This record gives sequence, structure tokens and C-alpha cells, in this order.
Amino acid sequence: MPMYGDLGNKLVQHAKRTQNLTHLPPYQTELVRTVAREVRDLDKDVTSMLEPFQGSFDPSAEQATACTLLVNHLSMRRDKRCLLAYHRTRTDKLEELVWNGYDILDLSGQQQAGGANGATGMNEGGTTSSLSPQEEDYVRQYGDLLAAYKGHWTDIDLTGSLEPPRDLFIDVRVLKDAGEIQTEYGAINLTKNSQFYVRQGDVERLIAQGYLQKLG
Amino acid sequence: MSYYDIDSILTDAEKIPCTFQLEIPELGYLDNQPGQPLKAGSKIALPLWLAEMLAIANTGGDDQAKSFVTFDLPAALSNEVVQALKADPRAVPLRDQSPHLYGLATHMMDLSEEQELGVVLRKTFVTRASEIALHARKVGGTGHNKGTADEGSNLGVGGTGEEFLRGLEEWERKLFRKAHDGAKAGKEWMENVKKR
Repeated sequence: MPMYGDLGNKLVQHAKRTQNLTHLPPYQTELVRTVAREVRDLDKDVTSMLEPFQGSFDPSAEQATACTLLVNHLSMRRDKRCLLAYHRTRTDKLEELVWNGYDILDLSGQQQAGGANGATGMNEGGTTSSLSPQEEDYVRQYGDLLAAYKGHWTDIDLTGSLEPPRDLFIDVRVLKDAGEIQTEYGAINLTKNSQFYVRQGDVERLIAQGYLQKLG
Repeated sequence: MSYYDIDSILTDAEKIPCTFQLEIPELGYLDNQPGQPLKAGSKIALPLWLAEMLAIANTGGDDQAKSFVTFDLPAALSNEVVQALKADPRAVPLRDQSPHLYGLATHMMDLSEEQELGVVLRKTFVTRASEIALHARKVGGTGHNKGTADEGSNLGVGGTGEEFLRGLEEWERKLFRKAHDGAKAGKEWMENVKKR
């Protein structure tokens, strides 16, 4: 028995699954659009139902209509809650990822990288980004905000690792070309498959992002 | 229970049996008969988010005001289930009744006086929670309690524990995960301390 609110429920089930994942699954563009359309249809129904009353609707005189209106209203309210909760779950996840050092390029490229590992093979042939354009914008602006906030403290890295390092210097292997980085001891050119002995603090971010691998 | 809480939203999708008190021309689709009027007395399972308000709202006006729908307890909270819980809370796979059993019951108790249900469920949760804690610690592998292997709930023997864990509803699952992660983190910390 398909009824109003069923599709919204589907969205929330997606959100539930998202909560337990480390990556962000593809944005449900089509489902979101359909739920939003359902709300508009319901609103249209309500308007046309109320039209003959010319603003003087008496619920106790028209009980059946009052009940139908209530059902329509509740369905719209339900759809709204599902839509908001779905998007909120995703933005929560995005904020978490930004704090963990991902930027917009990592996130929008995530789909291809994930597919290669067989982690997210579902969306083959679809769009490359699992984010909606609005979400990409959100990540960009949230990243800017976080950077501005972090800028207040130049001697503390707020997003740095909480684990105290055992050794100041570590061996790393370069998994992906990461270009040139500046360190206290001069510039290092990180080309794929090369190995370096570097200060941990200098490369922590690159390890987290998967450019470098810690050895030993 | 926040507005954005996913589990709360999913709980609201649980269905309860309702009976419509008046004929409504436009709502036939709820009974799978679009285009036909919904007759008074029709019995339909409605999700909580719809049933709750329809049961509270009334037709208004005079003293004969009545609700649009009346409702019964869902099968998950039927007398049979309650009796089984009274007998042994640990033997009932709550998940098979409803993945959000406690949330569903809370809603039902808000809507009607079900004194006994509250008492039974409180006892159910307390009994099951200690069982959950026991299993969570075991999976964490702390292995302190080797001496109590003769206890009925201990998992060394067969899949009884697995079966119990599969029957957990969502809230209990959360509890299990928290207890499990806590035990694991504690163990890891202890090992790190020893290393230094």
C-alpha cells in the first residue's frame, strides 16, 4: 500500500545507513526531488480543497474534509522532517570529514577512489561526485570557516593528531605524487615510490590524506 | 528525542492498527482503494506519525466530539508478547516484534493508560541490559571471567549468545555497541600503559 511519507522514509533509511559508514554514499538526487514534489502536490490539494470555502472553513461542520486536510498536513510535515533529517545527517558527516582534514577535492573525487578499492562499487557510470552541488559549496565554505578559526592560534594545530608522537622523525614512503613541501630543513619533492626520513609533524596531514605511508 | 534524530523518525514509521470513526470520501487510498470513500469502521494499519495526531485530534464543536480514529495496541505489544516477557525477558527476540520496540511502547503509553506495560518493559530492559553488558565484555575479549563458565548465559556453549544478540532492538544494539567499544578501548589503554 504506497502512501504519502513512504519515500521520505526511504530517505531516512539512507541516512541511517550513512551514520554507520566512514565515507559518504552518493546523494539521492532523484529521491529528494520526488519527496519535494510530493509536498508540492499535497499543498496543491489542500489549496484546491479549501477554495470553495472562501476562507470560512468550519472543521466541525465539515468533519470529513477536516480529517483529509489533517492527513495532508501531517504528510507534508512528515516529508519535511525526513528531508531535513537526511540533509542534516549528511552535513554532520561532511563537517566531521572536514575536521579530519579532507578538503573538497578529496571528497568530490572520493567516488572514483572508493570504486577502485571495491568499497563503493554501486554507483558505476553515475556522477563522479557523491556530493550534491550544494553540499560541495557547503564543504568549501565550512572549510574556509575552519581555516579562519584555526588561524587564531598559529602555534597549535587544532586538527592535528591527538596522539603524542613516539619519535620526532619517521620513515615514510610516497604512495601518490604530492608535489613539493617546505620543511624546516628545506624543500622535499614527494614523487611516487620514493622514501624519506622526515619530521612527523611536517607530513602528518599527508599521511591522513593517504599520500604517504608511515613505515616501521 | 531531537527533531533530527534518525531513530526517532524511524520509530514514528512503525504502524499501529487503527479504526476510522467516520466516512471520509477522499482517503480511500489509505485502504488501497483510491477513488472510493473510506468507510467508517475501516481497520487500517497507520504509521505513528499519522495515527497519533488523528487519535488526539477530534471532530470539534459540540459535546459529541470524537476522535477521527481509535487505535489498538500493535501486535508487537500484544498480551502474548507481554506474557512472554514476564516469563523470561531474555528469551524474546525483541527485534522480531519491532526494531524500535521501546520507542513504540513509549508512544503507546503516551496515548493510553498502560500501567502494566511500563512495569514489564522496565524490568525487561534492566534484565536484558545486564545480559548485554556481559556479552559486550566477552566480545571485547577481556577474558577476566573464565571462572564463571557454569553460568547459563555464558557463551562458551553453542550459539545461544549469538541468537540473543540478533534479537536486540535498535536501542539495545546501541547499548551493546557502546559497552563493547568501551571495553575494547579500556583494554587497549591498559596495554599501552604496560608498554611504556
